[in-house]
Amino acid sequence: MTSNLWFLKGIKKGVLTEKFPAEPPEEPPLRPSVMEGAEYSECPVEAIDAEGKWIAGRCIFCRRCEPHFMPTGNQDLSEVRNFSPDAIRKSFYIYPLDSGSCGACNMELLSIFNPQYDANRLRIFMTNSPRHADALLVMGVRTEGMENVLREALDAMPGPKVIIAMGACAISGGIIGTMPLDKEKVALEIAGCPPSPYTIISAIMKLRGD
Amino acid sequence: MGKGEGRFIGRTASFEVYPSVLAPAVPGAVEPERKLGPSEMRFNYGPSTGGLMESVNFSIDSPGELITGIEVNPYYKTRKLRISGQKPEDALLIMERINGFHSASNSISYILAVEDALGITVPEPVSMRRIIQIELERIRSNLTVMERLCSAAGFGVPHNMLAALREKVSRIIGNATGHRYMFGTGKIGGTDLSFSGIAHKLEPLIDEFREINESLLQSKIFINRLQGNGKVTDKGLIGPAARSAGLRFDARSDSQSLPYERLNFQPIVRNEADAFGRFMVRAEEIFSSMGLIERAEELSEGSERIEVVSPEIADGTGAARVESPQGDLFVFTEIGNFVIRHIELMSPGKSNLEAFRHGSVGTIFTDFPFNWESFGIWISEVGVEIE
Repeated sequence: MTSNLWFLKGIKKGVLTEKFPAEPPEEPPLRPSVMEGAEYSECPVEAIDAEGKWIAGRCIFCRRCEPHFMPTGNQDLSEVRNFSPDAIRKSFYIYPLDSGSCGACNMELLSIFNPQYDANRLRIFMTNSPRHADALLVMGVRTEGMENVLREALDAMPGPKVIIAMGACAISGGIIGTMPLDKEKVALEIAGCPPSPYTIISAIMKLRGD
Repeated sequence: MGKGEGRFIGRTASFEVYPSVLAPAVPGAVEPERKLGPSEMRFNYGPSTGGLMESVNFSIDSPGELITGIEVNPYYKTRKLRISGQKPEDALLIMERINGFHSASNSISYILAVEDALGITVPEPVSMRRIIQIELERIRSNLTVMERLCSAAGFGVPHNMLAALREKVSRIIGNATGHRYMFGTGKIGGTDLSFSGIAHKLEPLIDEFREINESLLQSKIFINRLQGNGKVTDKGLIGPAARSAGLRFDARSDSQSLPYERLNFQPIVRNEADAFGRFMVRAEEIFSSMGLIERAEELSEGSERIEVVSPEIADGTGAARVESPQGDLFVFTEIGNFVIRHIELMSPGKSNLEAFRHGSVGTIFTDFPFNWESFGIWISEVGVEIE
């Protein structure tokens, strides 16, 4: 491979993109995934309530509850609320906003555009400005410095202002702090610490009613 | 605590860190605010906009095309983390999230500092498995820096090839450790992880990377964007930025926290001191990390879980320094009655931000993304307050 004909080199690699979501994920990670089990009461982030119910949006997948609770590999870790899919009919443009993340959510969001997932083929795109966004996707905990930035981004967005909370920090504050959003205004919660690319893609498709 | 000797690595709240000694911290000189020259303007980029991976603000001075001054504010997303008063194993859950992409380096440096404080000595196979974690992280991190440099150059094919490789490495890490970012894998005094067969799984990826790298190095258009861009030769450099400037600075060779000497480690050193040099150091370190993983796997004694060594004392102070993908990462901790009383952290991001700032003056706007990405800086570890 000495010449610089990148186009041909790309063609030679063949198609790397998986059939997901038409077919099940090829290599779903074990953590994060839906946890199943019973009888554990020492969760450091209270992701298991008094009745023993596991709460996806709080879980940081620290393994303290294992083997009482075990990961299943099921990547469906999202919840849609107060949102009609009719509001979005065509391509879906996301404006990501890092309110106070550790960087892992940022990388997994970027990963949905890797050749293995190629979210563009599913009409999912990123935009550089909230003015062109269908959805504001927030990652990380609430931080003082980003409060105004978050508010301004929301003000700049056209309606309907779809808000997505991605990762345990944005949904519940996780192990780090407090959540940056008004929970009532969140249309989609994507749980995980961080959620896998499979989870992010399937969550957005669930929001759109695909 | 003593008098500083050898290279100055960095500063925490209380200490100046040198290779084998800690000295009392002396506040660094504060640079006066730059005044705009004739026909110059100052404008903001960030903290939240396209092209930035994390929230960070740049205040750039320019008469039009030339960057004459630049300030970086990484503190918009500052997280306040409460560590003091926690049990060491509970604090670990927070420490591994200081920089999620470099979670192994952060959690292992913390674990080593705690073990130092509590007088715990782990068997060699535990250290070898920790080295494998850090080197896996380095391979993925370096691939990401190179991927983003290709993206900045509009090189779509190699950008996607490197992104695909990064994904493959993430899956290998996920399968080996149970988490793509190694969260929840750290253990004080031992390890549950096994890396049996990991080098065999990585080999085809490294071959694939070699082909991409060789092709990139034949592209004059790509190399021209990097050569002479962001040249920095300050003595305060660390990590790949230092090694690209002819400085043999690497915690893997001058820190005793992990036994790299058993693996015959030799730092990669080049002399360009610019974005191209940093690119080359990162590329060559991918091969070097692969070699380290192969040798460490041989010394990690198979797939058995290694039992946790219990501490013999409940109080003490300890420190550790590891080479994260960005450079030296130092942790100091004081433990009393098995509770963290005090902790200090020196992340490499801060030194690299300074180097980036100095290297930016005299470049032009189109140089900016190449210079920025070549440092591989993570804001999450800079914008953080630990109590």
